[in-house]
Amino acid sequence: MSTTDRSNGMIPSRWWDSDILYRFRRSPVAVVSGIVTIALIAAAIGADVIAPFDAFDPATANVIDARLPPGSEGIYGDIYLLGTDPQGRDMLSAMIYGLQTSLVVGLSSIALAAFVGVLLGLLAGYFGGMLDALIMRIADVQLSFPAILIALLIDGVTRTALSRETHERLAVPILIAAIAASFWVQYARTVRSLVLTERGREYVLAAKVTGVSTTRILASHILPNVLGPVLVIATINLALAILTEATLSFLGVGIPSTQPSLGSLVRIGNEFIFSGDWWISACPGALLVILSLSVNLFGDWLRDALNPKLNA
Amino acid sequence: MTPDTILSVDGLTVRFDASQPLLTRLVTRTGRRTVHAVELVDLQIARGSTFALVGESGCGKSTIARTIAGVQRPTGGGVSFMGVDIAAFRTRRASMRYRRDLQMIFQDPYASLNPRWRVGRIIAEPIVTHGLLKRGRELDLRIEELLSTVGLSPSDARKFPHQFSGGQRQRISIARALASNPAFIVCDEPTSALDVSVQAQILNLMRKLQQELGLTYLLISHNLAVVAHMADSLGVMYLGRIVEQGDAGQLLDDPQHPYTRLLLDTVPDPHAPNRSRTRLAGEVPSPLSPPTGCAFHPRCPVANERCSHEIPRPVRVRKAWVSCHAVEEARLPPSLPNMLDPLNNTGDAA
Repeated sequence: MSTTDRSNGMIPSRWWDSDILYRFRRSPVAVVSGIVTIALIAAAIGADVIAPFDAFDPATANVIDARLPPGSEGIYGDIYLLGTDPQGRDMLSAMIYGLQTSLVVGLSSIALAAFVGVLLGLLAGYFGGMLDALIMRIADVQLSFPAILIALLIDGVTRTALSRETHERLAVPILIAAIAASFWVQYARTVRSLVLTERGREYVLAAKVTGVSTTRILASHILPNVLGPVLVIATINLALAILTEATLSFLGVGIPSTQPSLGSLVRIGNEFIFSGDWWISACPGALLVILSLSVNLFGDWLRDALNPKLNA
Repeated sequence: MTPDTILSVDGLTVRFDASQPLLTRLVTRTGRRTVHAVELVDLQIARGSTFALVGESGCGKSTIARTIAGVQRPTGGGVSFMGVDIAAFRTRRASMRYRRDLQMIFQDPYASLNPRWRVGRIIAEPIVTHGLLKRGRELDLRIEELLSTVGLSPSDARKFPHQFSGGQRQRISIARALASNPAFIVCDEPTSALDVSVQAQILNLMRKLQQELGLTYLLISHNLAVVAHMADSLGVMYLGRIVEQGDAGQLLDDPQHPYTRLLLDTVPDPHAPNRSRTRLAGEVPSPLSPPTGCAFHPRCPVANERCSHEIPRPVRVRKAWVSCHAVEEARLPPSLPNMLDPLNNTGDAA
């Protein structure tokens, strides 16, 4: 925090205002990772416009053009910048659409996990007692299973319970729920510990004395004061969630092969990697690395920038 | 209860369960543990007066304050405010009238204001909660008026708490406490976190407001100078019990209870820096296992056999009530004998 804006009586900046932007401009890592992240998100949103071919339209794929190396020309004169996959799909288009799927799954699962985790953490921390014990023991159990195992379990159960078509249609929501199920614990634990310190503070007591309802105390007093760390965990977890989606899709229990995702593209290419067709796996793999690296670096920077103890 | 009594506390007892978790208790074979924070406290506060509670840390002052403010449930006894028993409120709706009439000022001005709220919103909270004014021009004017009342600028409403000093924050706290036009304000150590120079300003502001608005204060403090400046009536607490209470002037000039005397002896006097004082040996016993009989007897220089097993009942001494066997039996010497801890008895007067 700068000292000048304290004393001059102007309307002060909130923490997300000028201070953080100033620090953002001063950090080259933050600028580069931020720009890359935003560019990738923009590419995913504008996939229909940017991608040279529609990866969901089987008509654009041509089996004769299958497994062409990057820069090849197809039989109809199309140029495939990053080559084609075994179905003759343009790799670049498939990757852009795959990026879309990966980001949708990653962002939604983190949003769901954060929502559930923050809510349960608030309740556990504020009310304590049996409710706290119950929620935290569930969290402990949850924590003892790896994310992949939980996702595999959910996938197995839903695959048996639902018909093949329904399962394919619900693959993305199921995947989001499975990833969220293994990620909410972190939020719940963090928020709970923050609430434990906040709920005893005198501004909460003042609200209680005045007769403010518990819901309002939680929503407008405690929640805003515990959200900072949640934001940081969410950014760092985003990369992890995208990687989890890729891992599950690679293992064949995530996104079905008919819909491209970065993970499923790597899996498809895996079969051909020893035939020398490296690009089918390497290109989406590289994009995955760039995406998770930039999101992670940005999250790292955000964590440091929001930590008042590290502010020089 | 006299007609002008605004708040009366009868046989108030607050105990906290400080037990180890069940598993630990089973393994270590220990029983439940109870903190006896407040034991059978009676007090009456007259409308428009200031009642001060003094005592060392951990003697139960703040617990009484929180119970009266309705954020701590009593284990036994009751608190009645304007003739209504506050423990009888079963729903939030039923307690709203009482919560409007009773407000609280806190000790730590850095923790008592939500750091993410602007001052205007902080002060408006009681008004909005009780639906006293609609949001808009009228509310803004009221906030500006409250800020001026406590000596701040009306434009401060748009600032955040971190832009103010400790004393200014305490003024904001006072403005918030006044917002719902309360009759009674519980002040829990309102000045102990402030600079000495600022303490006087805040205390004078509180007195001024009391005269203008006819407020009643319950002042919790361990600072005897603050109490002497503010209080009409005084209660001295030791280990969860009130040992002596009554007219503040009498208690400060002619204290009866040995603990009150020893407590007053600790006040530094700039005019007599070398006066001999009676020093108090030992430490306050744990409220987990308070002593039998009079809680003060292990440290009391005039304790006898009776003190160690019989709890003294309050006896009237002019305008005060004193709970002490020595006072009751009229065997209290004019000055208390020294009872220094033999281990530390070096004989110096420092």
